[in-house]
Order: sequence, then C-alpha cells, then structure tokens
Amino acid sequence: MRTSFASRLGLTLETAAAWLLALLWAAPVLYAVWAAFHPTGYATRFELTAPLTLQNFVSAWDAAPFGRYFLNTVLLVCFVTGGQFVLCTLAAFVFARSRSRWMSALFAIVLVQLMVMPDMLIVENYRTMRALGLVDTVFGIGLPYLASAFGIFLLRQTFLQIPAELEEAARLEGCGPWAILWRLYVPLAKPTYLAYGLTSVAYHWNNFLWPLVVTNSVNTRPLTVGLAVFASTDQGIDWAIISAATLLTAAPLLLGFLLFQRQFVQSFMRAGIK
Amino acid sequence: MTAAPASADAIRLDSLRKQFGSTTVLHDIHLRAARGRFVVLLGPSGCGKSTLLRVIAGLERADGGRVVLDGRDVAELPPAARGLSMVFQSYALFPHLDVAENIVFGLRARRVAAAEREARLARAASLLGLEKLLKRRPSQLSGGQQQRVALARAIVAEAPICLMDEPLSNLDAKLRGEMRREIRALQQRLGLTMVYVTHDQAEAMSMADQVVLMRDGHIEQDATPAEIYARPASAFVASFIGTPPMSLLPLVAHAGGAGIAGLPDHLLAPASAAGALLGIRPEEVVPAEDGLPACVTAAEFLGAETVLACALGSGGALLQARIPGHHALPPGSPVRLRLPPLAHLFDANSGKRLPLPPFA
Repeated sequence: MRTSFASRLGLTLETAAAWLLALLWAAPVLYAVWAAFHPTGYATRFELTAPLTLQNFVSAWDAAPFGRYFLNTVLLVCFVTGGQFVLCTLAAFVFARSRSRWMSALFAIVLVQLMVMPDMLIVENYRTMRALGLVDTVFGIGLPYLASAFGIFLLRQTFLQIPAELEEAARLEGCGPWAILWRLYVPLAKPTYLAYGLTSVAYHWNNFLWPLVVTNSVNTRPLTVGLAVFASTDQGIDWAIISAATLLTAAPLLLGFLLFQRQFVQSFMRAGIK
Repeated sequence: MTAAPASADAIRLDSLRKQFGSTTVLHDIHLRAARGRFVVLLGPSGCGKSTLLRVIAGLERADGGRVVLDGRDVAELPPAARGLSMVFQSYALFPHLDVAENIVFGLRARRVAAAEREARLARAASLLGLEKLLKRRPSQLSGGQQQRVALARAIVAEAPICLMDEPLSNLDAKLRGEMRREIRALQQRLGLTMVYVTHDQAEAMSMADQVVLMRDGHIEQDATPAEIYARPASAFVASFIGTPPMSLLPLVAHAGGAGIAGLPDHLLAPASAAGALLGIRPEEVVPAEDGLPACVTAAEFLGAETVLACALGSGGALLQARIPGHHALPPGSPVRLRLPPLAHLFDANSGKRLPLPPFA
C-alpha cells in the first residue's frame, strides 16, 4: 500500500510540475493574446466582460511596414533553408558514403563548428559581409548560415542508416551517383528534411541579433528587427498594439508548428535528437 | 579492342582473384556457364560464393583475372552496363516506392519510353501474379510477395543474365519450395542464364543444371547435380551433398583386405585401400541379418523414413543409415547393417577422390 501511495504521490507531483512549467511557458503568449484582442485600457485589467476588438492589429499593421518585413523574412528563410538543404545534402552524402580515409578527420572538423556560438562571430562576419559588399542585403543576412554543421550531421546520420543493398540495387538498375542521391537518398530522408527544415525556419524566423547588426533599412529588415524598432520609442509603450504586432509576426510559425506538430515530434524521435 | 570470338558461354571466369586486405577470398576461379543454364554456387557460409557473385555483378572489383559475359570482357564496365540483373538476399526493395514503381525503377533510370515501360510492367506483373498489388508499398507485402516483386524487377530489365543471392533464405519452408519451382520455371521460360547463390544443398540439387561447390575461396567441384551426387570429387563434397550427407569411414588394414577398425571379419575393400576414407550414402545402407554389427547412437524420424546414426567397430567410425519406415530405436540398441558395394574412396589427407582399386 505504501509504495502505491508513494508512486501515486510521485505521479501527482510530476503532473503538477508539468502543468506549472507549461503555464509559465505559455503565460507570455496568453498575455499577448489577451492584450491584443482587447482595447488598450484592459491591458492590465483582466475582466471577463471586456469588449473584444481587432483594432490593435489594424493599428499595428498601419504603424510600421510589416508587409515589407514579412516579405524580407520569408525571402531570408527560404534562401537560408533552401541553401542549407542543397549544401548539407551534398556534404552529408559524401561523408556518409565516401570510403576515403580522410573522411572521419574532415567530419570531425565540420562538427567542431557545432561548438562555436554563432554570436561570437558577429564582428568577423560583419567584416566579411562588408568586404563582399553585402551589408544591408537579405543575401548578407543568410549567407553566414548556409553551411550548417548540424544539418550535415543530421543528414549524414540518416544517410548512414540506408542499407547499402538499396544503393547497389539502384546502381545495377543504371543509376549514377546523382540519380542515386536524388531518387534514393533524398526521398528516404524526407522526415529528416522536414524536422531539420522546421528547426531551421524557426531559428531564422526568430533570429534577431545578427540581422539587427547587418541591416539598417526598411527594405532588408526582417520581422524581428522591425518589431524591435517598432516597439522601442516612437510608439510610446502601447502594450496592446505591441502584443498585436508580436502575434502577427509569430502567427505563421505557430500555425506551421500546429500543422506539422505530429511529423515534427516523430521525426525528431526517429532522428534521435532532442 | 578486337571483337571477341563468338562463344556459347554466357559467363566465363578466368583465374579470378579477390582479396580483402590481406585475406584472399577467391583463389584462381575458373568457371564457364553456357547460355540458358541454371548455375548454382553452393557452399558453407564464408566460402566466397556471395563475393564471387558480387564480382560478376561488378559490385566488387576483382584483383586479378577476367570476367567475360557473352563474349565481352566486362572488367571496366559498371554494373549497369554488364547486361545483368540481380535479386538480393534482403530483396532491396525501395521502401518509398510502390510495387509498380519498384519494378520499373530501372526502366525509368534508363529512360525507357513510357508506353514500353507500361507494357513491360504489365508483362512482368502478370508473369508473377502481382497485378493486384501494384499500388502497395513494400512494407504492406508479405515476404513471399516481396520476393516476387524483387523477381519482377529483375526480369523486367530483360537482361540475359540474372544473379540471385540467397533469395529464398528469408522465407518459410513451404513457401521456399513453391518459389523454388517458380524461379526454375521462370528461368526456363525466359531462357535466362541464372547464377544462384545458396548454402542449401537440397535447393542446389533440385534447381541447378550445374552445381559449383565452393570451399574457402576455391571451387571444389563443378558438375551436374547427378554427377556431383554420383561421383563427389572430394571428401568435402561428399560430406556436403545429400540428406543426410555421405558417411566417411576410415579404413584400416586387416588380414586379406581393408575394413573398419575393430571389425576384422568384415572386409570392405582391397588391402591397397587401407588408410583411405570410405564413402557410404546413407540411403544405400540396408538392415540385414548378415550385416556389420553397429550400435545406434541416435534415431531421427522423418516420416517416410528414419535416419539412424550408428557407431561402427572400435575406431569411433560413425555411419548414418536412412531406412524406410519408423524405427524408434533407443540409443545403444544393436543393429546389423549391410553396406553397398565399394563406390567412393577418398584420400584421408588431401580429401581427393581416389580411383577404385581393382579387386585382387
């Protein structure tokens, strides 16, 4: 009896802790939803009868060029994720299948990149971008992230799990290396592409510091930087409008996650990363 | 390059060698197979039969010697250009493609026109009874069905040579028997030259036109099933073929001839055979009142017959006897067995078959 009581107590505590963490994590989002859908006066007064409104969204959209920011962010995310897919696929294919004795050493060097914080390189990256004349361009925001060690690692692990007999069968059927990559490896690694693509999109959608440093005009600023500029001084601090703008910028990501939630979690379980 | 002389051989291997690091897995292999033959590479695991198949396919490079397919030296050709198809042990079906796409995978890779692709798919599917499964994924098929898809993919290429690497080893016994007959019928109907790897001698004997028995990277014997059964070239072949295989009894000299140690009254061979191994097929041993005295060590009932393992004489010679009917003899029971006339003698050291000595 005592053990069952203890285990039930443990389960209750665990559940309570999970709820507490979930609430803590959700609180800012919930507050933003509350503030965005109610008139300014209710931003700090929580009354169930408070009137609902969409006016905050309209004001936010009109107050800053969010349309342009959206376009910049979408361009940036497509460019970075697309470029990463191409480069990581090619590199991972070689690392997974080459029998050269240099491969493990080279792969170790690539992995070292995982240990370097991207923010450490901001100054150096800025210098490089300036030398290339790419400061204040969407191309310049994305370029330093194109060769991702994480992506190479993830795809290599996936490619290694593909049985050699499948590749041999494809070779016998007349496939060259490109056809083998395109018709065998890429389709079989679809779940990995999805999982990696979602993390990459989320990361670059939310990335703030580097775009802030490297951009200085409306035409290149992504959403995060635009939102920060917007939320600073010229608006005064109107929490309702800031919340509305924040929800606007985060909405596509939230929507995407809700849509792909299952595949997302599953493919990460399969890829063995947390 | 001059045109190769016309030859009836679909496959010719000359002094083929293959090494992995410092271990040689194929020593000086010579092999010829005529067009339309069903050739089985048989041997215990690790004998090099799969490696030999992969060298023919071009998946492994030979370290010496020549592979000549249909009169062409294919050493420099990639697997796809050698005019052959292959069925893998694991079937190697593409999990992301349905059955139809698996079958036409090679035709797509070779850019065969859509109309012809469809026609060949329909033909292969009807030949193997896959019409109803074309839209399924490999994971939704049973082992036997997967096997059929792999076969269909091999024959749709219409290559003259088909290689198979233990294709039936993942199937249950009943299905294996069915597929054996089906593969053999398919091969004869399409006139394919088949090279088939297996470690199952019953499979080899029932399917092959030509059995190539391998051991440690050498060919022990290359002959028809009948020949390999009737005249095994070595003690190893003798002890590999047959269910159960041939028993090998060491012969010692007795007064007036040679026989089993401890049984001087039963002479089995002329005196010159002393020191050799006597081969006896278990199915040729019969119980008889005037036979050799033996002691049952184990009895295995197979239904139509019983296999008795018996100890003979004092030297620990072990003889197996396949006797019709049910004989539930407990270990230790005495039996008397008559051996067939002298037919197989092997050198005790080299294992080579010896000519039968004339009776003095």
